[in-house]
Amino acid sequence: MNKLINFKINGISVEAQKGETILTVARKNGIYIPTMCYISKTSPCASCRMCVVEANGMDGFVLSCNTPPVEGVEITTDSEALNHERTNIMKLYDVNHPLECGVCDKSGECDLQNKTLEFDVSRQNFSARDQLRPTQHWGLINYEPSLCIMCEKCVHVCNEVIGDDAIEVKFGGYSSVIVPKNSPTLDCTFCGECIAVCPVGALVSSGFKYRANAWELSRVPSTCAHCSAGCPLEYETRHGSINGENEIYRVKNNFEFASLCGAGRFGFDFDNRAVKNESAFGRAIEAIEGAKAIRFSSMITNEEAHILQLLKEKLGIKLFNEDARKFAEFMKSYSSVSGKLHHSGSLDAIKQSDAAIMIGSRIATDNPGVRYALTTASKHNGAKILYAHPMEDTLMQSVATQFMKYEVGTEEGVMALLAQTILQDADLDERERAFFEELDFGYLYAETNIGEEELSHMMNSFSRAKKRVLIIGNDLIAHDRSSNIAKLAALIEKYSDFSLVVVPREVNTLGVSLINSLDRDEKNISNVVGYNAKGDFVISSLEGADLAIPALNQQEGTVVSIDNRVLPTNVALEFDGYTLNDIAKAFKIDKKETIDYTIELNKKAGFKTIAFDDLENFLSPLGEDNRGYLLDEVTCKADGELEELDDMPEFNGTIVYHCDPVLQFNNYTSKTTQLPKENFLLGSAQFGVAARIEDGDMVEISFGQTKIQRKFKLDSELKGTIALNPTFDISVDASRYRFEKSKIVRVS
Amino acid sequence: MHNEHIEEHFNNRNVTELDSNYYMVDIADYPTDGWGKFKRVVKRSFRGELFVGLWVVLREMIKFDVHTIQYPAEKMPIGPRYRAVHEMKRLWESDAERCIGCGLCEKICISNCIRIDTKIDENSRKEVSEYSINLGRCIFCGYCAEVCPELAITHGGEYENASDQREHFIMFEDMLTPLDKMKAGTQLEFEGFGAITPHEDERVKKTPLAY
Repeated sequence: MNKLINFKINGISVEAQKGETILTVARKNGIYIPTMCYISKTSPCASCRMCVVEANGMDGFVLSCNTPPVEGVEITTDSEALNHERTNIMKLYDVNHPLECGVCDKSGECDLQNKTLEFDVSRQNFSARDQLRPTQHWGLINYEPSLCIMCEKCVHVCNEVIGDDAIEVKFGGYSSVIVPKNSPTLDCTFCGECIAVCPVGALVSSGFKYRANAWELSRVPSTCAHCSAGCPLEYETRHGSINGENEIYRVKNNFEFASLCGAGRFGFDFDNRAVKNESAFGRAIEAIEGAKAIRFSSMITNEEAHILQLLKEKLGIKLFNEDARKFAEFMKSYSSVSGKLHHSGSLDAIKQSDAAIMIGSRIATDNPGVRYALTTASKHNGAKILYAHPMEDTLMQSVATQFMKYEVGTEEGVMALLAQTILQDADLDERERAFFEELDFGYLYAETNIGEEELSHMMNSFSRAKKRVLIIGNDLIAHDRSSNIAKLAALIEKYSDFSLVVVPREVNTLGVSLINSLDRDEKNISNVVGYNAKGDFVISSLEGADLAIPALNQQEGTVVSIDNRVLPTNVALEFDGYTLNDIAKAFKIDKKETIDYTIELNKKAGFKTIAFDDLENFLSPLGEDNRGYLLDEVTCKADGELEELDDMPEFNGTIVYHCDPVLQFNNYTSKTTQLPKENFLLGSAQFGVAARIEDGDMVEISFGQTKIQRKFKLDSELKGTIALNPTFDISVDASRYRFEKSKIVRVS
Repeated sequence: MHNEHIEEHFNNRNVTELDSNYYMVDIADYPTDGWGKFKRVVKRSFRGELFVGLWVVLREMIKFDVHTIQYPAEKMPIGPRYRAVHEMKRLWESDAERCIGCGLCEKICISNCIRIDTKIDENSRKEVSEYSINLGRCIFCGYCAEVCPELAITHGGEYENASDQREHFIMFEDMLTPLDKMKAGTQLEFEGFGAITPHEDERVKKTPLAY
């Protein structure tokens, strides 16, 4: 299988693995072959023909981007003829290309500009009858057809990596253009990846258009602060107006290997502006002195979490963070069976998998990073993907090969069935075998609404898979029976070749769960200080705080991503007010900078003794992830035992599912200017009939002790009797089970 | 006119041509040895050159033919390359502002005194919404005029800056060529560093756009 192919490029002996092309081997060996349309994370577009090379014994040229080498072939990447060919291609690219580099947003970082200069094309030798090609305005994205060079990179990423499949090429020779697929205007999740990969200024962010030039912006490499995927990004900053303070102008990413969703790309202005307010600081110190507990969210760095832990130990107060506590409990139960602290999978494992089970999350909106990884697996490896959830998701339709609909609340039963099916032939120990033998299958099939044939279909489609992955979403973590679910997941990981990915809900849920010892939230006690969360005294980077602190794009620190990777974030914008470290200093927890704590993070949880300033934050030219470090694997006692299944709860009546629309995650994304803020209650026609409400009605939704008012909107893509209720603009307990019985009343 | 003479003077830079305005000054060789230097000192000390100078002063004094320029009533003519307060030029064809908002002047400015802000206007074109030069910091090095790809920002001859507020020193509107001046066709092109050289029209190769 792993036979290496030996051949020569420019006389240098190189080796290729199966599946590698001449171009990838050349790049690995540092040999330059110019390309215009090649992008590492997609299959080759092969539209530019710049990557042509000569192979001995072959007439004409070979496209190096999609040709695998054969044993012993001798490749030449640079010759008079090749240079002539490439120069001619560049001349053709430059035909009628508007000479507006002076105002073009891409100028200075434009592939066409670079290659035109590289091949010394100093004049437009050819011309064609030009035609009227007006700018297309597609919301957050603008398309300028006259600048487009038809490299098709955008179409490839949209289809192969993102999974929206929203744009296509309308072929027509010189009048070819990119058009929205099956729609008059662009209807997609607006990840903006097409903007990122566009080598010219054809696809640009409408919010950035003509605001600044590449050479004016300073780049701050950081990590996206919206979800736990931990995508690498660069904030680009410059002064605001002519007298203004620095602002973030746009976000860019290393599109060659990594992807970014629209929230990361367009939702960057969630920074908090404040000056030092001494009286507020004094009150904050007093509040903490008299506090019984600090309630905090997981939208904080590891260092902040560590300081909070030190405050807890010093002052004997409690720490509340239900989201991280639930996650920690889930992982504790998981560890009690698997014998190790961290789940084994990662986004890369998903990308390389050829079979995946996604259960318990509307993943396309919860964690786009996982969605993109699944899309990549599906398009590049033909992966079989089982999507198990009570609601279908149109965004996952093109990727999922099997949709397994289960009843709300029956996650434990579903996991038991999955585990039983997967582990049929596994070498289980006695008690584990007994657990599966005692299962009441009739009851399980009836309650979960999963058919036996669905499970066998899954096993059949997975039968030839070599790299399998089980992805656990938030519904399973927030479930009442999460501990048993975690043990079942651990069992699958332990006894089968499935690797496991547990999706943390917030950006640093994982980090907080490893650093803090959390207490069960007592909702009704007073004297609680809120840290980015509700409390009697609120210290927060959001509006309405009693003391302002910096947001995640304004501080140095680290977060732990879904990959168990400790990733650095950096200061894109300065913050002039107080930070948690200043508060800690007032309590004699004395370190000069917040990042002095990076080296001290909980070693028992796998953090390494590496100082913040020694952390790297880049992807190598070959795409290796050099950001931060991976948590050390920690083994622990495996003494957990499966519990008997509980009776499945029944969810009748009107049920809402707390789920944010695309591009929205939390109060921070809700604060940004560019992201759409569609806070409708979305439901199917069937739901409307059941709840006796119509499209456009203002309704009051009551669940638990919360009452909110929203407009109801019919969504033709939804089915069934569960409505989607966004939570990004309200503050709800991030740990609650997201399906909820609710009362919906029309108010007007 | 005086200005024309200067233009001619600056344009004909060929020193070797006979009809050029340049001529060589006849200077004797410097002495190299000690004896030669001693002789030169003695010669200069006793020739009474001091009194020649004093006589010239006395003569001019009693003639009352004053050559001092009576500033501010009188002003010296300024060379076209003089680098005083900046000007923003307009396009000859359309009277539109030449500045395209590329921000290169801001980038190159070594005293960091230029700030520019651009946006998209209602016609989807790039518009310079704000432009400022802090003349309190400007060292008039001319880099901005040199780097400008559109010959939009140039230096002018206006060297008189007096105000009780530094902010008054320069306004974008003051720098911009007034429209009536454009209508009259009297906008002057800058000839200094960064400007196109004379006879450029004959040398520029035009992009073939005939189809």
